[in-house]
Amino acid sequence: MTDPDDLLARASTWIAPVTVATAVAVGLTSGLGPAILVLAGGILLGAVLLFWSSLGRLTGESPLTLEEAVGLAAPSPEEERKRSILRALKDLEYERSVGKISEEDFAELTTRYRAEAKVLLQSLDAELEPARKAAEKKLEKRLRAEKVDRPKDRGTGRETAPAKTAGEAASTDSPATENTSEAAAPADSPAPATAPTAPACAACGTKNDSDARFCKKCGAALAAEGATP
Amino acid sequence: MWDSLPSFGTGVLYAILVAAAYTFAVAIGAGGGKPRLLESARRGAFATSALVALGVLVLAYAFVTHDFRIRYVTRYSDRTMPTSYLLAALWGGQDGSLLWWSFLLSLYTTACVAWLKGKYRELQPYVIATLMVIMSFFAVLMLFAANPFETNLSGAKIDGEGLNPLLQNYWMAIHPPSLYTGFVGCSVPFAFAIAALVTGRLDNEWIVAVRKWMLFAWLFLSIGNALGMRWAYEELGWGGYWAWDPVENAACLPWFSASAYVHSTMIQERRGMLKIWNVVLIAITFLLTIFGTFLTRAGLISSVHAFAQSDIGIFFLWFMGLVAGVTVGLIVWRLPQLRSRGQIEAVLSREAAFVVNNWLLVGSAAFILVATIFPRISEWLWNETVTVGPPFFNRWMAPLGLGLLALMGMGPLFGWRKTSGVSLKRAFAIPTATLVAVVLLHIVFGRRLGAPAFVPQDAFYPGIAGIVLQKFGSAAPAITIGLCAFNFAVVLQEFFRGTRARLQKHPDEGAFQALLRVVEKSRRRYGGYVVHIGVGLLFVGFCGRSWEIEHEATLGVGDSHVIGDYRLTYEGPRMEVDPAKRMIFADLNVERDGKFLGRLSPARFIYTKGGQPTTEVSMMRGLRDDLYLVVGTMDPQTKKATLRFHVNPLVSWVWYGMYVLVAGAMLSLWPDVKLREVSAWGYARFAAGTATSVLLSVLLATSSARAAPAVSGGSVAGAASLVTARPLDGTPALAAGLGLLLAALVLVGRKNDERSLG
Repeated sequence: MTDPDDLLARASTWIAPVTVATAVAVGLTSGLGPAILVLAGGILLGAVLLFWSSLGRLTGESPLTLEEAVGLAAPSPEEERKRSILRALKDLEYERSVGKISEEDFAELTTRYRAEAKVLLQSLDAELEPARKAAEKKLEKRLRAEKVDRPKDRGTGRETAPAKTAGEAASTDSPATENTSEAAAPADSPAPATAPTAPACAACGTKNDSDARFCKKCGAALAAEGATP
Repeated sequence: MWDSLPSFGTGVLYAILVAAAYTFAVAIGAGGGKPRLLESARRGAFATSALVALGVLVLAYAFVTHDFRIRYVTRYSDRTMPTSYLLAALWGGQDGSLLWWSFLLSLYTTACVAWLKGKYRELQPYVIATLMVIMSFFAVLMLFAANPFETNLSGAKIDGEGLNPLLQNYWMAIHPPSLYTGFVGCSVPFAFAIAALVTGRLDNEWIVAVRKWMLFAWLFLSIGNALGMRWAYEELGWGGYWAWDPVENAACLPWFSASAYVHSTMIQERRGMLKIWNVVLIAITFLLTIFGTFLTRAGLISSVHAFAQSDIGIFFLWFMGLVAGVTVGLIVWRLPQLRSRGQIEAVLSREAAFVVNNWLLVGSAAFILVATIFPRISEWLWNETVTVGPPFFNRWMAPLGLGLLALMGMGPLFGWRKTSGVSLKRAFAIPTATLVAVVLLHIVFGRRLGAPAFVPQDAFYPGIAGIVLQKFGSAAPAITIGLCAFNFAVVLQEFFRGTRARLQKHPDEGAFQALLRVVEKSRRRYGGYVVHIGVGLLFVGFCGRSWEIEHEATLGVGDSHVIGDYRLTYEGPRMEVDPAKRMIFADLNVERDGKFLGRLSPARFIYTKGGQPTTEVSMMRGLRDDLYLVVGTMDPQTKKATLRFHVNPLVSWVWYGMYVLVAGAMLSLWPDVKLREVSAWGYARFAAGTATSVLLSVLLATSSARAAPAVSGGSVAGAASLVTARPLDGTPALAAGLGLLLAALVLVGRKNDERSLG
């Protein structure tokens, strides 16, 4: 028996263009009525093929594709929450930049959001830890099999996590996208937000957030007293 | 060969029902993570949609080949109709419009299921299942109550009865499809809401998923309503564009609840609040779209749309009951998860402003709904039919509308959570100053320009409420113009502040480039602001009603009549004939300040197929006012004509406002072109998007011009004289400009993305 998926995949590439082309040709030569019939015929054929392939899935005759196998990759509620906090932080940045919110309110609200984000990120990290370890193990095995030396600085992969988070947030539709990485990165730092003053970077003069340990612009380490209690 | 075409059509309807039921069952089975079943359901949904398209094509074939065995084809077409109206007849009557509704739903289903590939895997099965339930409802409706393929009891006719002449015009050909596109579009957000309730994933996930779907539906609801207004204005000939007709009301109800939703959804996204409210708003919007179809099609209340009525009402009532019951049941079941995480912390915050705006929008919808079905309510309660007319709506909707206008201006000035007094003062300073200045200017110069700030009104009711409404109504022009100025100032200020902030951060950019970048970076926000400008322009147009002038006069050949600062001289009657109708024109020359402006030719069309003669409006449009002429009767002996003259100030602003609103909504809707998509596909999408925007602007730009030939129905000479545009009328230029601006925005955004990439 022919695999319905195969047939569908092949058919879907040519059914639509062939039907439309034939309909146009028939329409130009014999009028609108016959052209509509050609279109109807093409659509009926498509419907039959689609049902065939749908039933093929239902009865389990067709193999699972990679996309299906990936299965339930829906983000968890924590992930959703994290995104909404990151968006809120971006909004705050925007509102400060256009002068809709006072510096005090901005500092207070960002600190609160950051604390929330920190808890969420930690719980997300903890949740992912076993999977990450398993992935690390597999990677190591593969590298060993291929006899590639593993660079030491890869570590446990924790360093790459904040960057990924920021990247994810940047893909959401919201203002001042470029602020995201700045807003999100310090949230992962373990230092608690106790100092209300915003330390300025000695190297470039950028104003940083109260709990920042490194400058968000140039990356230079900030003065210890500004960040740690 | 095609003896069985009607039976084949009915067979396709049965197939749709069976396919939808099958897909529903498989989709429900796929819930809880069964990828194989989900794939099967997805294909089932595509196949069901294909069957609906097949049904539409079979009906189209019947129309094109004049298959008068089919009752629907007989009732809504004849052999003289041009092909374009034959195809427009697909949605001209009840049975066909239900099939058309199903067809649009099938398009949405296809688009939604294709878009869902690999996304929202937990929600997906229930989204598909909900869409299939809606599809099954329409299949049942067609099969058992309004089958478009039903044959005539007395056999095939020689010719059909033809489409109602009122429906044979350009606006009517495009008004129902776009309104239906809006109506049916609300099904997708509803399906997501049900899926979120069933799965218990009630956080931001589904809210983010439905954002653009809802905005798209809202856009088409706006366009559909605007086209309906335009049709009423150009075709019905009573001098206005909105008469609070039950079906007009039904069409604008979902617009109100959808507008409320696009605002309240932001609060859930930002603050995790109003979760129940959002689900309820989506369900209400969906129910109102079904109610709108029910009202148009079931003839609950008589209206100008009385050309499509029958007894399918009971099916709609059951379906609405089912939808309401299931939604309420699911909400009660999920109540613990729907509790808000946040709360409103300050009255002076954007969320508080949004909540009040929601109350007003939903309050307006509830008010219109109750007033619309009041004849039925009163009949039920007191056994007598009490109808409420346009004056009642106009009196009461004025304060509600102006309240909304005020909130629309203030909303953007507040920040989230709370706004400090200092920044509030700074934000309000310029807009408030503008408001005061414009109101003062209006009071001083208004009367001289024929647009006084205060227009005395009669008391509508006795008592305090009557006096308050009367006073408010009298001051409405000044308040409206002031609030519109406030709104424009707010939006300009927001654009300015955004650009300034960007310039501070990127001093290397020029001001214009910074503005484009700011808009491009948060199109949703700035698109919303552009929509606000559009709504402001609409209100300016609505305000023009206060100053309209209406005269009626009988003129003999050579007589003149003066209205406003126009002088019209009647030149005499003129008759033309085409295969479908006789057209009797009354030609009038128009002058202002002694200068000849052009000729207007209002007409009466008498169709050979019988029925009432139609009134054809002739008008001269302008930014300041429209000169609008209708001919009542014409005496063939004396050649005297009874004419109705209207000077309608600022009506063009309503249409301009709509163009701006559409441009704003499109700016918000514009798909994100992600960096990783810089590939052939990315460019293809970009090209498709630009082409669409340019096409849409061309369509909008040429719409006024195209209306004319459609109205005159083939008589070129008549067409040329029917609608005369003044040089001031800049519709095409404005629309084309907006389209180009949109394209430029995307282009700049893309160029910059590429630069940052490499």
